[in-house]
Amino acid sequence: MKRIRKDLLKDVLKDWALDRTVIAPRRTECGECIYDTFDDAGFTLDIAKPSAPPKRSLFPQSEVIFQIEQGGYRQVVSSSPTLIFGIRPCDHKGLLQSQSFMSQDLDDPYYRTKSESVLTVVMACPGSMSPTCFCTTTSSGPWAESGFDLQLYDDGDGFLVEIGSERGRDLVSSGSFEDIDDAKAAEKIRAFQKAAGSRIPIIPEVEDAMERLETSNKASDEVWEGFGKKCITCGGCSFVCPTCTCFTVSDRVVSLETGDRIRSWDSCLYAGFTKEASGHNPRRTSALRIKRRHEHKLLYHKDRDHHGGLCTCVGCGRCSDYCPVHIGLIEVAHAICSAKDSAGEEKRYSGGVS
Amino acid sequence: MDPQTNIYQPFPVRILRTLPQIAEHRLFQLQMEDGGSWERFGHQPGQFIEVSIFGKGEAPISISSPPTRPDVLEICVRRTGNLTNALFELEKGSRLHVRGPYGRGFPVEKLKGRNLLLVAGGLGLAPLRSLLLYVLDRRDEFGDLTLMYGTNNPDNVLFKYELLSFFDRSDIRYFYSVDRDQEGIWKQYVGVVTGLFDQAELSTSDTCAVLCGPPIMYRFVLEKLLALGFSKENIYMSLERMMKCGVGKCGHCAIGEMYCCMDGPVFNYTEIEHIKEAI
Repeated sequence: MKRIRKDLLKDVLKDWALDRTVIAPRRTECGECIYDTFDDAGFTLDIAKPSAPPKRSLFPQSEVIFQIEQGGYRQVVSSSPTLIFGIRPCDHKGLLQSQSFMSQDLDDPYYRTKSESVLTVVMACPGSMSPTCFCTTTSSGPWAESGFDLQLYDDGDGFLVEIGSERGRDLVSSGSFEDIDDAKAAEKIRAFQKAAGSRIPIIPEVEDAMERLETSNKASDEVWEGFGKKCITCGGCSFVCPTCTCFTVSDRVVSLETGDRIRSWDSCLYAGFTKEASGHNPRRTSALRIKRRHEHKLLYHKDRDHHGGLCTCVGCGRCSDYCPVHIGLIEVAHAICSAKDSAGEEKRYSGGVS
Repeated sequence: MDPQTNIYQPFPVRILRTLPQIAEHRLFQLQMEDGGSWERFGHQPGQFIEVSIFGKGEAPISISSPPTRPDVLEICVRRTGNLTNALFELEKGSRLHVRGPYGRGFPVEKLKGRNLLLVAGGLGLAPLRSLLLYVLDRRDEFGDLTLMYGTNNPDNVLFKYELLSFFDRSDIRYFYSVDRDQEGIWKQYVGVVTGLFDQAELSTSDTCAVLCGPPIMYRFVLEKLLALGFSKENIYMSLERMMKCGVGKCGHCAIGEMYCCMDGPVFNYTEIEHIKEAI
């Protein structure tokens, strides 16, 4: 096990940045913490829950995938060695899940190439970063089990450094990282994990909601109708979600014969997301689209993409943090659980009368 | 990286012929750039391709021709969106790009030896024709063949000459309908396609039904089939969804836990009956 003093970290990051791009938390002028190219002045260790997950390093908001020239499509698969520092375990789980989804069945070369060139340095969470954190419910935190290159545990004036891969071992070969006794460090880490876990309350409604969707998803129709009336279809929940990877593809004409084929983030909340050229739209109402989004997270997902998580929601709580009309996964789970009971009762009652 | 490994890479093809069908519908015959056979493409009846046109992006279009006729790849297209509008501007010899074939087509191997009932509505004949011609080309591998095809009026009958040519064949039973016939020129059944079931005297045992048409058609035809005693396992249908990537990544065509582009577009009824939004 290794340990690094916090006052040496900036120098280590500068060192790492010599032959790769380092993405690290930065405090903006507005006080927001974002992942950005490492910048000495803006760098912060007080990252709490960054505004957005670092998914854009692997899945940019918009990226050119082909250049159209001389009547052909020339692929533009770009990646450069990158290190993402200070990833929260929930976001890290999101990256693992997306990586799995993007490479299963058929391999997405754009995502894979980037993920192969990314090193991940996870920073274990000391506890709840906001009332909307529920990674203990979704088994995606407050520390990462595997799949990282390095994981840091806060240890007063320094970090304990857990090495997760050979590439991670290379990162900590410099003198700034001191060797410490493995047993002693493991004990400290266990204590950290125990304390952190106890600070993030379980939200039992999430798993309950999953079960209820699984057993009878019809009963919750009125839940979706209710949220459908509120949703303003801004799509923000998808964009701040660590596991949302839906995209659209469009062509940009540059000149008469040249152009770019671009893929960009899309959201299943948008009315046009499922609209066919004929005008037929299988999910024509916001209610149906909100249903889809939450069913995708809680019901319709493949076990092979979980990476040890409960489902494909990683419990970061950002949808609840940012939704302008309060339709986050937590609110939806609560609604499914409470509304379903009354719907069930109503059904039994009307059944008795007729 | 080897360009062959990029699942999104389109390749160039040429338009060999464009054959007008009915108003706003054309059959495009596509030829490999080197003029060679489409056999290497490896398509199956019911699969689709993504068609690219410069500046217009991509659109999923079903393949209308069977692999038994590999000289050309045929797509029957309705002029209805950005890409198809641009496609209709292209002439014989024009170059465009495609990728594919995608999706799970009709379960040809499972259908072999069985009696077949093909039910198509409107442009639904376009994908179903790949199976229809496949069966006709390998006629002895299948049992009885019945085709039901309905359109809204006599002017909108696709593949008219092919349908007429069945009049001379004894190895296919055909039933054609139009919803309305204002000019009184239609010599066959007038009414919705489900009305054809009353004329057809189908044997339901060992018959597989394969449907393709507008969403509204499925509801009524399924009702009819179940009433006639078809088992759900013997009913297949091709569903239409907005499919952007064709390879299960972009998320647009999700139906429950499945993706229409990968797990479909052809589904067995038992696979989708529990998903409320599927049909």
